[in-house]
Amino acid sequence: MDTETIARERIDRLCDLAREATVAGEDARARNYVRRARRIAERNRLRLPREFTRFTCDSCDAYLRPGLNARVRTRDGHVVVTCDCGEQARYPYD
Amino acid sequence: MPLTPETLPRHELVGLDARVRAGANPDLLGIEGCVVTETTKTLGLQGADRVRHVPKEGTTFEFTLSSGEVVTVEGRRLVARPARRTEKSGDSKWR
Repeated sequence: MDTETIARERIDRLCDLAREATVAGEDARARNYVRRARRIAERNRLRLPREFTRFTCDSCDAYLRPGLNARVRTRDGHVVVTCDCGEQARYPYD
Repeated sequence: MPLTPETLPRHELVGLDARVRAGANPDLLGIEGCVVTETTKTLGLQGADRVRHVPKEGTTFEFTLSSGEVVTVEGRRLVARPARRTEKSGDSKWR
């Protein structure tokens, strides 16, 4: 199997693992998984899945679980996600 | 077709159940648990009370895939930076 397919699968796996780790309260571990997924995408020049970009913090690499370590607010025309670290991310309704 | 025995040395190891089958260090024999961390030269296995770091070099690991298959890999084949392992390890010589 070619490298690109494996890299994509690794990113998906790490995304799931980061979510499970966050739910289990292992925040540091989840951060490491998120960082590794980003690194793999970078090395293989792959775009990160939308689910991944929306549910991770750009600033502290935390995997975001709304209600647990993130606040989600709907505003006029866009959604605002605030991480516990204070970083805000916005994305449009679509 | 995620994670088959052929792709295992190049795939994500975190999340798999692993066991130390043979190794240069007899104290490590039989350590088992879910892989939680990986560095260039070690794997961290989640034990009952703590994470045990096992060197890859000189150790033989047994990984259990989600399909139930058990794959034995020489740790030497896994020595690489975690993100680079996908590109580096060429043809698999799994047994």
